[in-house]
Amino acid sequence: MRILVFFLLSIYLYGVDAILQIEKDVEVRTHIGIVDSSSQRNSTIEDILLSDLKISGHFLVDDKIYNEDFDTPIMTPSLKNQEYVLKYRFESLNGSSLSIRLLKTSDSKEVFKKKYSISNKLKAPFLIHKAIYDINGFLRYPDIDWINRYVIFSRYTTPKHSEIVIADYTFHYKKVVIRGGLNLFPKWANREQKSFFYTSFNGLYPTLYRLNIYTGAKSKIISSEGMLVCSDINKNGNKILLTMAPNGQPDIYQLDLSTKTKQRITTFEGIDVNGKYINDGSSIVFVSNRLGYANIFKKSISGIGGVTQMVFHGKNNNSIDSYNNKIVYSSRESSNSFGMNKFNIYLQELDTGRLRAITTTGNNQFPRFSNDGNIIEYIKRYDGSSYIGYSNLATHKSLLFPLGVKKIQAIDW
Amino acid sequence: MIDKKLLSLLIILILSGCTKVAPQAPLNGGSNISDSDTLNSQTVTIDEENINQQGDGFNTPNSQYNSSSDGFHSLYFGFDNYTISSDMQQVLTYNTQRAKQMNGKLKIEGNCDEFGTDEYNYALGLKRAKAVKDAMVSEGINPSRIVIFSYGESNPVCNSMSDECYRRNRRVDFKLVR
Repeated sequence: MRILVFFLLSIYLYGVDAILQIEKDVEVRTHIGIVDSSSQRNSTIEDILLSDLKISGHFLVDDKIYNEDFDTPIMTPSLKNQEYVLKYRFESLNGSSLSIRLLKTSDSKEVFKKKYSISNKLKAPFLIHKAIYDINGFLRYPDIDWINRYVIFSRYTTPKHSEIVIADYTFHYKKVVIRGGLNLFPKWANREQKSFFYTSFNGLYPTLYRLNIYTGAKSKIISSEGMLVCSDINKNGNKILLTMAPNGQPDIYQLDLSTKTKQRITTFEGIDVNGKYINDGSSIVFVSNRLGYANIFKKSISGIGGVTQMVFHGKNNNSIDSYNNKIVYSSRESSNSFGMNKFNIYLQELDTGRLRAITTTGNNQFPRFSNDGNIIEYIKRYDGSSYIGYSNLATHKSLLFPLGVKKIQAIDW
Repeated sequence: MIDKKLLSLLIILILSGCTKVAPQAPLNGGSNISDSDTLNSQTVTIDEENINQQGDGFNTPNSQYNSSSDGFHSLYFGFDNYTISSDMQQVLTYNTQRAKQMNGKLKIEGNCDEFGTDEYNYALGLKRAKAVKDAMVSEGINPSRIVIFSYGESNPVCNSMSDECYRRNRRVDFKLVR
């Protein structure tokens, strides 16, 4: 009896302990105050700074930004309530520069100091991202490299015309990479984001190209009648998943970039699209209408084991992304096209089946994992406006940035 | 039942043994960094404005809602559907007869409303185009004369968020390839 009680108590206490541990981790974030020492106030720089600190999940930021001289110790009494104070000075004359000092409030000691500069003023947001990335690393928090990365997306300009654009994650910086014609479905070709795949619809047959964003070097990968989309790249970067329709039948194929050999993975006579590698790359998840509506399934590339349904809720599940053993997808929950709650983002762990809603209102699509799997990016349309959203999976905090662009056709991060 | 005092004591013991503090900045002299980073690497912009797009044809709309050209009529579809409905059969027959009177390749373009993601919609548009091609082939058109293409959401004839507009965009257009 005593052994049973001890056993039950241990289980109960483990559960309690686990819950308490999670709550404590959240409170381990660093309290930080911000001081602007610039000669001119710049609200955009302030917004980006605050956003970077918040979305990292590692800082509790005082939203009020104070003004002090850059080189002095901490002067404002209320800043003493913080653990650290970040002083910054932003200048935009020939190019842009950002100088920062990180001071420990207990003794006003400077623990970190750095200056960042860039010749292209439009890319100033990247100075902020780099600075916060460095501070985060200096304080020995887990890496947040995703904050420095480009987002790439395509948008329609007029019927049958589009642009492909790169942006920082806040969309404060945007630059058109391909203008004119109908070029869609951009997908980063490598982790370093030096080149990307995209589909050109300018000829008689859709054609997949690879473009280097620094040199402009462009190479043709493959053509296919009907449609052609690169939906994923394996971890080695030597194989890609394609949605192709060589006989007018859209299916998922794997293409070996070295040998140019194609392997057909799906054979259903309906619609199979949006393949994503999962786990070690031996299996994929994809969107299919084999149940009469768009839903998400799993299949091994070798074909062993057949097709497995992965999602058992929603009226239309599409726009999937994967990271190791996790998937994120957009699920339609209303049957009324004009309802406020149309599509929401869900996260599912493939091993446990555990499910979690990332959004609850609006029309949310295009979920994408960050390169470390800790942040989910998505597009939200709500009340007539469009936003790009980021949800930190550890802190459950989300940030929205006004999109300010025409409707996005496809996006990758 | 578990003794509450014992439980409380155990919880306190666990808490005191699991303390975690915020990361501390290293305080040795080597961490007072004062250097600079210059971020560079300019990216390109490629202009494909003058690239000719295939098969635009000459637009001679026969009705307010026809976006096909060369005397053909557009076909319309139900939501998330690529079956040719009975009320579209007459249009299909008309287009088939017209194609038989012409030479050259015929481009069949599948289109969708804006509902859902574009990759799925490109596939859906293609299925619509293929359904029409298969029907025309079964009526005697040489399959080598037909090229199917999908524009997904990229070629709307209207942009309002209404049932009527969605219906107009769920279509297949016909045009001759020149």
